[in-house]
Order: sequence, then C-alpha cells, then structure tokens
Amino acid sequence: MNGLEADRPGRFSDGRSAAARKVVVRVLATGLEIRGSDGFLIAVWKAGDLLADGDWPEKRGVRLRCASEPDARLAVEDAYVIREVLPQPAKPPSRRRLALVLGCLLGAGMLAGLMLALAPVSKLLAHLVPAGLERQWGESIAGGLAGQMKACDGRDGMRVLDALARRLAEPLPADRRHVNIHVLQSRDVNALALPGGEIILFSGLIAKAEGPDELAGVLAHELTHIGERHVTAAMIRALGVGVLATMITGDASGLVAGGVGAVLAGTYSREDESAADSGALALLEMAGIGSDGLARFFRRLETMEGRPGQVLAWLGTHPEAGRRAAAVEARRGAAPRLPALSEADWLAVKRVCSKPKP
Amino acid sequence: MSEVTAPQRPFAHSGGTGGMIRLALVNLLLSILTLSLYRFWGKTRVRRLLWGGTTAWSDPVEYTGTGKELFTGFLIVLFLIYLPLAAGFGWAQVLVTTGNPLGGLAISLLYLLTVLLVAVGLYRARRYQMSRTRWRGIRGGQTGSGWGYALRSLAVWLAVPLSLGWAWPWGEMWLARYRFGNTTFGDRPLRCDATASGLYGRFALVWISGLVFTAAAVILVGAMEMAVEQEEYGEAVAGMVFTLLLLLVAAVTLVLPWAWYRAGFYRNLAAGIEFEGSRFSADTGAWRLMRLVAGNLLLTLFSLGILRPWASLRTFRYACAVIGVEGEPDFAAVHRSDDSGPKTGEGLAAVFDGAGEF
Repeated sequence: MNGLEADRPGRFSDGRSAAARKVVVRVLATGLEIRGSDGFLIAVWKAGDLLADGDWPEKRGVRLRCASEPDARLAVEDAYVIREVLPQPAKPPSRRRLALVLGCLLGAGMLAGLMLALAPVSKLLAHLVPAGLERQWGESIAGGLAGQMKACDGRDGMRVLDALARRLAEPLPADRRHVNIHVLQSRDVNALALPGGEIILFSGLIAKAEGPDELAGVLAHELTHIGERHVTAAMIRALGVGVLATMITGDASGLVAGGVGAVLAGTYSREDESAADSGALALLEMAGIGSDGLARFFRRLETMEGRPGQVLAWLGTHPEAGRRAAAVEARRGAAPRLPALSEADWLAVKRVCSKPKP
Repeated sequence: MSEVTAPQRPFAHSGGTGGMIRLALVNLLLSILTLSLYRFWGKTRVRRLLWGGTTAWSDPVEYTGTGKELFTGFLIVLFLIYLPLAAGFGWAQVLVTTGNPLGGLAISLLYLLTVLLVAVGLYRARRYQMSRTRWRGIRGGQTGSGWGYALRSLAVWLAVPLSLGWAWPWGEMWLARYRFGNTTFGDRPLRCDATASGLYGRFALVWISGLVFTAAAVILVGAMEMAVEQEEYGEAVAGMVFTLLLLLVAAVTLVLPWAWYRAGFYRNLAAGIEFEGSRFSADTGAWRLMRLVAGNLLLTLFSLGILRPWASLRTFRYACAVIGVEGEPDFAAVHRSDDSGPKTGEGLAAVFDGAGEF
C-alpha cells in the first residue's frame, strides 16, 4: 500500500432516495470506490469530479460531492488522506470582486442619471397633464384651504387684484392666463400657487407689503409658477422620487422614500423658486412695473428671517431671501414706467380683509 | 401501541454567533456601497449559513438558492406588479382629489389587491425557499396555490373582527395547516391535522387580559389627567410616568398571556405534523419563547435591522432545540421529486416587505 490507498468508513446518500447507508470508501489515486458494507460496489467517483462539501466535525471527516452525480452526498470518516487528493476549491476571487466593483459603479451611475433626468422628465410629463384636470384639482385644493381658513372678500380689493393679475399674466400662454385669486386670513407672510390657475395670498403678506409694486412682484412670481406648471411637475417629481427610492432600497414602508423625498424636494423646489423669480422679472418688465418692488420685498423678508422666533413659510423650500433680493437687484431692468396700482386701488387691496362698513 | 418510541431531538444547529455577526456587518458594508442592491446576495449568504449550520439525523441541510434568482424575482415583480400598482394608486388619488366618487372605490379595491398580493407573495416565498432546501441531496417543496392561501387569509382577516377576535386561534391554525399540509420532502408530503382544540383556554386568557389592559389604560389616562390638572406634576413628567406604567401593565397583561398562547400554538401545530409515520413535537415553553422573541425584537430594533441575521440564528437554534420527532421516518421510501420549483425567487415578498431571512 502506498499510503494513499486506504479503506475508510463513511455514509452515502445516492440522491435518488433520502436514505443514508453505511459504506466503505476506498481511496485510490484515480478517485474513490464506494462499496456497501456487503462489499458490493455502489459508485466510482473520479478524482477530477470530486467536490469538497464541508467538514464532518464529529467524525473528523469530510463531506464530498461528485460533479457527475450532483445529487449524491458522501461523508467519509478520518479523512486526512482524502484532503490531499481533493482539488482545492479554486474560486476566482478577482472576477467576483470585479463584478462587485462594477455593481457599485453601475448603482452610483444609475442613481446619478435618474437624479439628473428626474427634473426635466417630470416637467415634460407635467405639460402632458390635461389642463382641465389640473384646474379641477387646484380648485378642489383651494376650496379645502378656504374651508379651513377664513376667506377675505372685500369686493373692491378682489376686483383690483384680479385686474392686476390679468395685466401681469398677459405674456403667459393662452391656456395658463386665466387665474383665480383667493385671499385667506392668516398671519403667514406667504403666497401659494396651486395646480391649474389658483393663487392664494395670505392676508399677512398683504399687510406686510409696503407698496403695490411689492405685491405685484409676488403675484408675478406665483404667476410664473402657474405658467410653467411647477406645482404639477413637483407632484410628479415627488412620486418619481418615492418610486425610485422604494425600488432601490426595497423598503416599502415609505420611510426611506419619505426621507429622500423631503431632502430632494427642497433642492428641486429651490430651483423652481429661482426660476419663478427670474420669470417674475420678465412679467414685471412687460407690464411696465419694474423689479424694484420685488427686490424691496425680499430685503424686508431678509430682515424678518433674521429675527429669531419669526417662523416663515418661505423658509426651507425657498432660497435665502437676501440672495434672492441680490439676484433680483443684479438684473434690475428699465425704470418703472407705470405704477402697479393707483393710490385708491392700493387702499382697496389693503382693506380686502377688513369688515365692510355697515 | 406495542412500540412507543420516545421523541428524539434529531435537529441540531452548530452555527456560531461571531461568524453571523461578521457576515451581517460585511453585508451592511456591501449594501451601502451598492445602494443596497447587494442585499439579495447578502440574504443568500445569510441563509447558506443558517441552513448549512443545521443538521438533521447528523446530515447537514443545504440552501441552494442564489442571489441572482432573488434579484430577478425582485425585478420581475417590480415592473409587472409594483409599478403598475403604484400608478394605479396615483390615479385613484387624482380621482379622489377631483371629487370623483369612483376614487374611493378604486383605492379600496387596490388596497385589497395589495393585501392579497402580500399573502400570495409570502406563500410563494415559502415555495421558493422549500425548493432551494436540500437534505441528503433531496429537495423540499411546497404544493398548493398562493391565491388559494391569500383567499383563505382574507377569510380569516374578515372572521377575526366579526367574531371579536375569537376566530383567531382557529384561523391561524387553519392557515398553518394549509402551509404545512402542502409541504413536501422529495416525493412525499407532510401531513398536518393540527387543530385549535385545547388552545381556547389559553386564548381566553389572552382575550380577557386584553380587556383588563384596556381598562387599566383608561384608568391610567384618567389618573394622569387628574395629576396634571391638580398641578402635582408637570405634563412631561406625567407623560413619561404614564408611558412607563403602561409598558409595565402591557408586559404583565398582554405579553405573558400571549407568549403562553403562542407556546401552546406551536406545541399543537408540531404535534399535528406527521411525516412518513413519524410524528413531530415541539417542547415550546412560554418563558423561553418570550425570551427568544423579546431578544430578537431588541436585537433588531437597537441595530436598526442590521443584526437581524443574528436574530434569525437564534430562532434556528431554538427551533432545533425544541423540535422532536418520534422515531426515524422511513427515509428509504422517500424519493426525489421531479418538480424543481420556481425559476426565480420570492419577488412579491421581497418587494412588499423586508420578509427577513426566511
């Protein structure tokens, strides 16, 4: 005997039934001969086909498989002899590592591509939403808000505001030109554009505005949101971010999607705000009002933001007011040719929320 | 009754905690690098360790699933089911905001469909896992239909509230019977005739302690409000004391009876399962079961889910320690089955919930 040849006890399952039988394994240089305890030959496994299948700790043995009989299992006791003939499990680690690196790069690239594509694609989709549907939707939201807060209905003031909006909206595309203005009782210094053509002005904003040019600037800003369908695009974007985040992380609870959505929404909406600011400049220019009022309003916002405890809805999703003011001032156009509103009209707007005199 | 064989404990688990924690951390790292796409391969490696550490009648169990199968299953479900469903929900939402009465109906129908799909997904995940489980070279399997299971689950969900909870033991056992009665090993099925008889005593305690808990919570709320009104304590202190007391009451009145009921449930279930003439048993005790579940919960919560593989390992160890089998089934009569199981892995479950390691 040359040391390699040896008989070892073992256990064998042939892969056809779930029985395990005691066998004697003869280790040859060419492979293994597996015999029943009665000496009857059951199988011959060639050395080249042998696959390591882990340890058999309690019998100090090994477990083996055979490439030509993939369902069969063999465990051999005291198998130090077999360890030597076994082919070392040759794993190609470099290939797996390469796949992993590629996977990482692919993931990062995909994410970057999706983030870049999201804004333009949602803008495109927003323009495909039927205008009627969008308008209906905006009206129902406006109705809900008016139900929660008290609506102001000073008749003269509303008429003036409508006229001012119509004058500013002149250059917008024909189907976006028709807007409804709502003034709601709230101390927030804020205005909202809703889908379709609804603009909400909070009474706090009217109270804080120190001249008709300032109010005209804010209106022009909201009109640009409406003209470019920013709100609808933002909704589509939020949906897209949610779906993507869920897709990538596999977290259907919405926790990840919500977090990612909130962070991205801020970034995108600041872009929208800057776009609306420059759109507002164009509208003001064409209406002959000029941009000084808007710049002054942002300057006032800036000092208010600086004051601690002053909670402003303009924060967070909007760029810093000081920077917006600077951007508006930098693009200061021709001097105003026309006043935004006459003195009498401006007084009517200021009184839009006060109780009509009996 | 001539030969009464005492139940043996044929299952053992040799997996080490250290190795599992290491794997969990490596998986975390790779998941972060690949934007979590690695999770399919990571989960597969965890399962290999869980399955591979298990021995039955001193032969090891194998897990043969691959990360690629899980990934393709995920992609298929993502595009064929998840995205259409998300679009459907978005559309229904639009209907609701525009005040269309069909919107509410569409949302409830979609919600029902989603819940059913989750149940289908869980059943199919089980089918995938069984078909990727081998022992002595023979595959497990799962017959029955996912939709059949989902509709049965729906019936249980409807019956439980209608019966004020009393249908729960019956319903839970009915579903378990369907799962296990349709489980196969090789060409032989498991038989499951487990019933809820004998469980209702334990369940009555759970039910009554639920009432006690509700009453205790109401009294506590009243006491807290009084304490705050009389300004004996600040609101924050009272809130904290209240929460702590409520947790304590919940532990005594809810968790302990529930653990006692669960232990009985598993005992009944195991005793109702039979394979090739051998009956199973499970020596589950309320105290140990509670320690297992509470420990797993804490592990998962405090590691933000990262150490969930460790929790799974504890579950495997516990199951191996308590499951007994009367005698040894006639494994020579069990042959391999021709059904090789689904081609792709558990997409539905992977999309709709974290599903854990099994």
